[in-house]
Amino acid sequence: MSLPVTQAGAAPAPHTQTGAESGGAETGGATASPAQRPSLFSRARWQGVGSALRSPATLSLLPLGLILLLFFIVPIVGMAIIAITVTTQDGGTGVGMDNFLALNRGSHSAAIVNSVQVSLVGSAIAAVVGTLTSFCIAQIRSEKLDSVVAVFTSVLANDGGAPLAFSFIVTLGNAGVIFGMLNLGATGFSLYSWQGLVVMYQYFLIPTMIMVSLPTFVGLRKEWREANAALGGSASTFWRRVGLPIAAPALLGGWILCFGAAFATHASAAVLIGAGGYPLIPLNIGDLLGQAGDSQQVAMALGVTMVVIAVVTLFAFNRLQSRSARWMR
Amino acid sequence: MDALKNARWVPVVAVALYVAIPVLCSVYYAVFPGGSFSLGAYSVIAEDASLAAAATRTLSITALTIVTLVVTLVPALVAVHLWAPKLRPILEILCTLPLVVPPIAIAAGVVALLGWGARQGRGSLPNAISQFLQNPDLPLILVGTYVVLCLPFTFRSIDAGLRTIPLKAMVEGSAILGSSTFGTIFRVVIPNIRGSMLFSVFFAVALCFGEYSLAATLSQQTIPVWLDDVSSNNFRASVAIAVLLNLTTWALLFVATLSAGRFSPAGRAVRAEKTLQKKTTQKALAS
Repeated sequence: MSLPVTQAGAAPAPHTQTGAESGGAETGGATASPAQRPSLFSRARWQGVGSALRSPATLSLLPLGLILLLFFIVPIVGMAIIAITVTTQDGGTGVGMDNFLALNRGSHSAAIVNSVQVSLVGSAIAAVVGTLTSFCIAQIRSEKLDSVVAVFTSVLANDGGAPLAFSFIVTLGNAGVIFGMLNLGATGFSLYSWQGLVVMYQYFLIPTMIMVSLPTFVGLRKEWREANAALGGSASTFWRRVGLPIAAPALLGGWILCFGAAFATHASAAVLIGAGGYPLIPLNIGDLLGQAGDSQQVAMALGVTMVVIAVVTLFAFNRLQSRSARWMR
Repeated sequence: MDALKNARWVPVVAVALYVAIPVLCSVYYAVFPGGSFSLGAYSVIAEDASLAAAATRTLSITALTIVTLVVTLVPALVAVHLWAPKLRPILEILCTLPLVVPPIAIAAGVVALLGWGARQGRGSLPNAISQFLQNPDLPLILVGTYVVLCLPFTFRSIDAGLRTIPLKAMVEGSAILGSSTFGTIFRVVIPNIRGSMLFSVFFAVALCFGEYSLAATLSQQTIPVWLDDVSSNNFRASVAIAVLLNLTTWALLFVATLSAGRFSPAGRAVRAEKTLQKKTTQKALAS
């Protein structure tokens, strides 16, 4: 294998030929492949590395690199390694999918179904309400409203956590202010079920959807509308043939983003539901991490599943977003 | 036509109501127990020492997170803009990834790592590091992970800030005038990306005040975790503190969003252009 590489590398640089040949002769050709470079332990190989390490670029990139490595890359890689590690019958460890297969059992399969259901329904409602709202905001055409909405949506899209859950318990919980006022108990609504989660998630999903879709609606140019009118099209023609085709990828992207956000939500759901009441993937991870033994490995498998879903979500969002962005320049 | 115009406001008002009602209900619940005004629920601040401890812990985590974030991110971005533009895409991907990786998944990874360290036996180095990072007085593990969680947003903001200023010319000019690179960054670059810096700081504070998943998983009692713990026996107190916390984080995020637009050179340019346009249209109308 290494022979053709050695020849190809050595041919344009004859002065390394001797070194490569002697190295190849001594170690049986295994170390001969880096023929064009000095050997690993020679001084020439490491020349310049010291000064490169001391360069301002390296020095200023190093701290952030260390933080990312220690607190992000190593934990995620470690999680993946634990997830695919299994104990074999003779007591050793091996690579296997056992921890992922364990996700088919018990409350985990219910958690996956519940998570997908809540995220799908929640993101669909947020997509429809958010699109409608940002469409109306774009129609109102008030710069003041636009900037107020921009600030509010970016604040609320980052909302969540314990305070959000508390405010919904007080509002729509079994003793909640609005719950009592509208007598929601008679309709069978319960905050501590998937309905409650869907309603609560709207608090940050709708602002996220508005944040993504408003620039699209505002960016539809007046000239396109005028051209449509000049060619005899009605408002509905405009939306059917121009407006929606341009906005659709961005709207779809917003919906996917909302799905990802709902899927990843842990804090507010954990405070609202607590442990075991209604299994969701993030809640199960939290529970399993608190237990000892094999359950941690299953938690890692669930974590890896979440990361994969999140990465796919972001990828899809980016593709769709850039499709719409082509027209918005 | 008027009816149609007003109909446009219906969804906007509906969403605004949906946003406002839970906040108003929790304020009502916290300060109108039994229908009359009382700040009794807030007496927990003075009575419960664990709240003060949680608040101190949260504040020290926040302070360290801000310092670490600024000290690591700004030099890295300046380096990428000045000396190593080829590394920019790599850094961007690394800094954006925490946005899609759910915090609970990061928590799982961190638990795995700390657990591995703890299993290495008493007295070994990994064990000592694991203990050190989880020290309940100052859980450095939260500082590190919070910096990572802040990165996606702060990276974008500071990156955009640096892109709008003539960074290379500024550094060269100040070097010709005899300033060191460090001095240039401190006296020229940072004042010029003030808006992005402010955004990063306020965003980091809001995140540190509100983060629950990691702190709860690692059993570190920060304020959000305290809220959840206390809610089972003193629900009104936890709602009362939650209202305070929520309004604080909102205010911080407001300031962050405003400062990102207001103090950035791009934002200034946009506003200058707008005022100019207004003046010219006014002149045109007057003449």
